[in-house]
Amino acid sequence: MILFENISKSFFDGKKQVQAVDDFNLRIRPGEFVCIVGASGCGKSTLLNMVAGFNKPSSGQILLNGEPVTGIDPRCGMIFQSYALFPWKTVLGNVEFGLKMQGIPRQQRQEIAGKYIDMVGLTSFADSYPCELSGGMRQRVTIARALANNPEILLMDEPFAALDAMTRQVLQEELLRIVDESNKTTLFITHSIDEAILLADRIVIMSARPGRVKDDLRINLPRPRHVTDQLATEYLDLKASIWSSVEEEVRQNMLFNA
Amino acid sequence: MSRLAQYRTMIISIISVIVFGLIWELSGRLGWISTVFLPTPSAIFQEGMALLRSGILQADILASTRRVLVGFLISAAVAVPLGLILGTSEVLKAVFDPIISIIRPLPALSWIPLSMLWLGIGESQKYAIVFMGAFAPTLVYIIDATKRVDPLLIKAAQNLGASRWAVLREVVLPGALPNILSGLKVVLAVAWTCIISAEMVGASNGLGFRIWNAKDWGNTPQVLLGMVSISLTVLVMDQIFKQLERKLVPWERG
Repeated sequence: MILFENISKSFFDGKKQVQAVDDFNLRIRPGEFVCIVGASGCGKSTLLNMVAGFNKPSSGQILLNGEPVTGIDPRCGMIFQSYALFPWKTVLGNVEFGLKMQGIPRQQRQEIAGKYIDMVGLTSFADSYPCELSGGMRQRVTIARALANNPEILLMDEPFAALDAMTRQVLQEELLRIVDESNKTTLFITHSIDEAILLADRIVIMSARPGRVKDDLRINLPRPRHVTDQLATEYLDLKASIWSSVEEEVRQNMLFNA
Repeated sequence: MSRLAQYRTMIISIISVIVFGLIWELSGRLGWISTVFLPTPSAIFQEGMALLRSGILQADILASTRRVLVGFLISAAVAVPLGLILGTSEVLKAVFDPIISIIRPLPALSWIPLSMLWLGIGESQKYAIVFMGAFAPTLVYIIDATKRVDPLLIKAAQNLGASRWAVLREVVLPGALPNILSGLKVVLAVAWTCIISAEMVGASNGLGFRIWNAKDWGNTPQVLLGMVSISLTVLVMDQIFKQLERKLVPWERG
């Protein structure tokens, strides 16, 4: 469970103080898959970084299963948009990294890592270096790396944004399957409304800067979902209503940045 | 570059060397240039064969190479870990920065008098000169390489539970390694400059000593032979280093 209590965050951009997030409150239940959608600059990534402990909120606190985040927290598995794979480690070396940090003996951690590499379908690439893999494959490795460490919470910061449209759809399907299997609490940040509807149990729409919760929608589409569900009327209606909510914020943000 | 184009470039280079050598040789033989000042390639070659037969040349190359390697390795052994630490700790960097700033602009040769006073003209003095010449630039290269490691990778490692020490060992060191190695390659050439100078000032063997000694006897072929030997030895070491680089950073291939 993730609990955001009155989170505010401001920082200095040169001499100007910028209020990135203002009085943000949200409660994410165990096992829930929540997508945060919002215009660029609304503080989505800032929020995620605060959950992972990379940044501290200026005020308020974040609780993970009742315990406050006080530093970089391995209870959260972070998946970055630009992969952040270690180029000098093979796929196996990357995936077993967290286990190695826990001091798990080599044979055991290779066994566990192998299981997750298999889960993302890269068994035949276990000994390849990241530079030998495509973008989609690299993002599969980061997912396996995060899961192998068995975090309580998965944090995903626009993980598929850098991928081409088709690869993205394939990975979205895979993520659906993986998340259904592992049932981990997931906080997923995206620009894409389609992606949010497809993946989420709940979509949180953020306002333009300073970021607050603008809308909080439950997505009741049945699971397991598939990319082809995006053609159903129910889906399209949802998309239209979310877009009208987001559009205001995007327009406001464009004015703000002009 | 295609295979054919590679061969073509190589053939052009070989012809260039031959033509250059011929012009040099002819200008000596035809008396355009005095061979007292610039001996012909053939004279240098003959001198080389003579010194090889007596074993002097091999001994000199070996002596200089050993001094370079020992001084260079001691310097690297101290500078690499220190640089990694200074590159990741602002506090320690602030402590060491003034010292480094003062030592760094000093040419290694300026240490020769003091080192002779402290250590005489034996081997340890030679190692010390190489060390003093190599240490500061190595340290600066390492700190710079450390700072250029992608901070996102450090974040990722910390997120996966890496301690401070584990981040240094598992992320900063391998992440900086390609830049560390290219820095060390530059420093290796600096180390050669140091040892040749040190040997010219005070030594009884080594390539620097051989050149200086030959000059005193007016033996210009031997002076040039010494210079050619330095050049070839450094080239060979550079090649060995490149092979080592390939072995150590396999992920950078291609």
